Amino acid sequence: MLASQILIDGFAISALYGLGAVGFTLIFGVSGVLNLAHGGVMLVAALIGWFVASEFETGPFLGAALGILAGLGMAYLTYFIVVRPIQRSRVIPAAEQEIFILTGTLLWGIMIQVGMDYLFTDNPVTMRPMFPGVVNLLGVRTPRNELMIAVICWVVIGLLWLLVNRTRAGKQLLAASINPRGLTLLGFELSNIYLLVWSIYGVLAGLAGVLLASFLGVSSANAGQLTASAFSIVVLGGLGSVSGSLVAAYVVGYLETITAYLIAPTLRPIPALLLLVLVMYVRPQGLFGRR
Amino acid sequence: MLTDTPILEVEHLNKRFGGLVAVKDISFNIRGGEILGLIGPNGSGKSTVMKLVMGIERPNAGSVRLHGKELAGWPTHRIAREGIGIVFQHSRPLHRQTVLENIKLALLPDSLLRLAADHSVDGTARAIAERVGLGDVLNRRPSTLPFAGLRRLELAKAVARDPKVVLVDEPFAGLTGPEVAMFSDLIDDFRKDGRAVLLVDHNVKSVAALVDRVLAMYLGEHIAEGTADEVMRDETVRRVYLGGKIETHARPEINARQGEPALDVRGINVFYGKAQALDQVSIHVHEGEFVSIVGLNGAGKTTLFNAISGLVPSTGDIHWDGRSLRGRSPASIARGGVVQCPESRELFGDMSVRENLDLGGQHLPSAAARAKQLDWLLELFPILAERHAQPARTLSGGEQQMLAIARALMMQPKLLILDEPTLGLAPVILEQLSKALTRLRETTPITVLLGEQNVTFALPHADRVYVLEHARIVWEGDPGRFAAEMGTGYL
Amino acid sequence: MTRLIQSRGFWIALLIVIVGAAGPWWLSAYILGVLTSAYYFSVFAMSWDLLFGFAGEVNFGPTFLIGLGAYGAAILNSTMGYAIPICLVFGVVVALVGGLLLAVPALRLHGPYFGLITLVSVLLLRNAIVIFASVTGGEIGMTVPDVLSIDANVNYWYALAFMVVCAIILFGLSRSAVGLILQASGQDAIEAAALGFNVTKHKLAAFCVSAAFSGLAGGMLVFYLGAASVDTVIDLSIAVQIIIAAVLGGRRTILGAALGAIVLLLADEALRPLGQLNTFVVSGVALAVILFFPDGLLGYLLHGKEE
Repeated sequence: MLASQILIDGFAISALYGLGAVGFTLIFGVSGVLNLAHGGVMLVAALIGWFVASEFETGPFLGAALGILAGLGMAYLTYFIVVRPIQRSRVIPAAEQEIFILTGTLLWGIMIQVGMDYLFTDNPVTMRPMFPGVVNLLGVRTPRNELMIAVICWVVIGLLWLLVNRTRAGKQLLAASINPRGLTLLGFELSNIYLLVWSIYGVLAGLAGVLLASFLGVSSANAGQLTASAFSIVVLGGLGSVSGSLVAAYVVGYLETITAYLIAPTLRPIPALLLLVLVMYVRPQGLFGRR
Repeated sequence: MLTDTPILEVEHLNKRFGGLVAVKDISFNIRGGEILGLIGPNGSGKSTVMKLVMGIERPNAGSVRLHGKELAGWPTHRIAREGIGIVFQHSRPLHRQTVLENIKLALLPDSLLRLAADHSVDGTARAIAERVGLGDVLNRRPSTLPFAGLRRLELAKAVARDPKVVLVDEPFAGLTGPEVAMFSDLIDDFRKDGRAVLLVDHNVKSVAALVDRVLAMYLGEHIAEGTADEVMRDETVRRVYLGGKIETHARPEINARQGEPALDVRGINVFYGKAQALDQVSIHVHEGEFVSIVGLNGAGKTTLFNAISGLVPSTGDIHWDGRSLRGRSPASIARGGVVQCPESRELFGDMSVRENLDLGGQHLPSAAARAKQLDWLLELFPILAERHAQPARTLSGGEQQMLAIARALMMQPKLLILDEPTLGLAPVILEQLSKALTRLRETTPITVLLGEQNVTFALPHADRVYVLEHARIVWEGDPGRFAAEMGTGYL
Repeated sequence: MTRLIQSRGFWIALLIVIVGAAGPWWLSAYILGVLTSAYYFSVFAMSWDLLFGFAGEVNFGPTFLIGLGAYGAAILNSTMGYAIPICLVFGVVVALVGGLLLAVPALRLHGPYFGLITLVSVLLLRNAIVIFASVTGGEIGMTVPDVLSIDANVNYWYALAFMVVCAIILFGLSRSAVGLILQASGQDAIEAAALGFNVTKHKLAAFCVSAAFSGLAGGMLVFYLGAASVDTVIDLSIAVQIIIAAVLGGRRTILGAALGAIVLLLADEALRPLGQLNTFVVSGVALAVILFFPDGLLGYLLHGKEE
């Protein structure tokens, strides 16, 4: 019974982690940016989604849709206000660009967190489930919402795979992650490619935020932890590798679930952190890393 | 002043990077008071040899001995402390420190506990600065120095180390005539001091006056050794660097072409930091012409092409089809019909041959146009049809080059710029490439600008030839005259 | 030495210190309190700048070292009752050991990986403190029986003196022969090696110095506040503020970090009427500084005219 519960809960939370991590790794793979405001983007989507759904009595679906839009908007703001100015800056030395982007997005993430705290306080909120009811799976009474969230995550991940591997735009993204200069030589404006990848990222992070609000709830105090989780998963799986992020998401998701159920809920994040440190020392490029 | 026993002995040095053999069984000795030149084109492995001696790369096999002491595999700082100094090709000063402080650094011991430098350090640093000609600029920051000043600073640091062996990478790159003479003297001083000197360069001619002996390399292997003259006249060296006997097919009717040139480049200057890579370069290409720009590595061909393609900033005029290319993004220039196939090829290694080609064709108006272009190219390069599903990085060098050219041709360019397509390719592949280029010219109205070091490849197709040397155009004319005037003196 | 006394900067710094020392006579007790914390914060920032500015390593978790020093000193004091100086030394030792355990493998990693390890180390320490709540007081924190002084003025002078001494040492290090080698190691490791310097050895030494000063300052802060808690010495927000302070003040100047820390904490207080939004404003300003004046206040003042 307990095993089934761990299996199901672990699967759902891992799927959610996977969705968030995939977006994070996509941004790094294609545009070389480690976005430390990631948690902030998810948070905005989650809170706006919850706010719209509860304050305007519109029902969870419209709330979710608007939440995703908010996530997209936040992604654009992050790109245009923080990332792009640093990438195009003439006063920042090129060798330090990475550090400045890390620090800049970190600051931006803090601004988002504090701003959301101010607007919504840091009380945890949960969005009304989009799929109410309970289902009996493997002998465990599981909220239908939880199952559907896992399904949605995987459908979206599948759509993303189709996009990258089967569409023209997707091939361009893949090419950009391999060799941006080659793409320029073939007549593609990289600025358009970056816009596309940040758009996809906004939707993925927005959806992940909204689903998180629906499943476990969020509070503005979580933003940092969300970024740290995504960051850890992506590094564990290998920076820039989408499949690596998915595998790592499941490793971390199950480690956390097992810890929460079998050891103590407060110790939840520890084993994953320890694993991360171990991997960093033994194999810094992660499980599937290229670079 | 020559010592009897060699100071530096290198034996059977080997280095592999994954599957690529960069250095294969290289051996040489240098005695004190002797200057050895290590010559080779890009990809010959000469820079890798230098890095192996200095410990920046670790050899897979082989021995490096300084006064009989084995140093191979040691970390760089220990090799430096033993007595090997290096002057890098690109100056590497500390930008936030003054010239004097930069030199002082080279005099410091590797100690964690010394807070203050020895009293003598200041005086020694000043003396060294005087010796290399930096006495007036001791308190200035490197960013305020001219290019030659930075090179002097690099030499000063080497002098300060008081090394037994000095490795100098491309000593004269970017220097003007008088500066080259001054530098030669300073390097000669090393010889007079009884040190062993290794000069690494592309070009025998530029170091011929300075070196005692030359070792020529190609594709990681030793191909000739002797005095500078002997090496310049060596059959193997000439074949490998120049491509052998120079044949031309002069086509005088092309030269009678009238009208405005399609590509008009005037007075281009390009600076990389302080180094001038192009100096008032002007070329023009008429529609349908095949123009070859001939020059050794480092002459500036790639920089010129990158300036035309908008990939590096430049001053001067670049007009294509009557319109200026200034202010347009590189991607827009490519879409406008000026397509470059660079020396580095820039393939998408993890994607298949077919996917690479498809990306090249994305800007064509319709799927039908794409299919037609693809078919034509697969006919031109049949090997690509065979390997269409393979990832690009699994292809051989020659196949990758063909893929790069085919991908560029997918864009239906009006002007195709080819940068050193023959680099590192076997002769049989060169034949295939040559045939493909001929067919291309016969069947399409394409205009081609080719940059090559391999004169045998560059001349047969060319209607006109430019020679680019040390950032300047030094000769222009038709291929026939080139063979007569430049042929022997070229290397 | 004579050159130092002749430099204008020396006299300006001396003037500032004298004015600062006279603080209790012309500043309110409230401002004195803020400045006392700010002085300790300055040492955090200066230690960070030594590592970043000179060894070229970005430490996203300076609070790992500060926290180790703070809690090390606090726990020894509250469990064994040893005198403050002994506890401070113990704190330094704990910070050094922790720092070495972190640094030795981490310095092999490049780019974002080093930064990530430092970030993760803070999270781990935070979790460890919470788990071992019986000893550390967990989320709430712990108090220590001894304090430096109960007089606000005396505390102020302790803090000022501490900051000045640390500044002299760290600044002196940065300008010394060793400092020059460190700068080379951070800017161009291959060139530094070609000149015969063991880069790893020097970076490790820089890390140890940074760890020692961070741990010591953490301990001093605990004995000033009379308490240690995750919110004051470990939290990621503190780490970010330290980085902001150093960048705001001017990277690679050491003294700029002190300036940045004081300005930051004063600004934080000045904006307190805004409530939580003061963090928003301060972060916003810091972001703007990063984008448009990456050399920071002192950096701009000193070098802005040069290029």
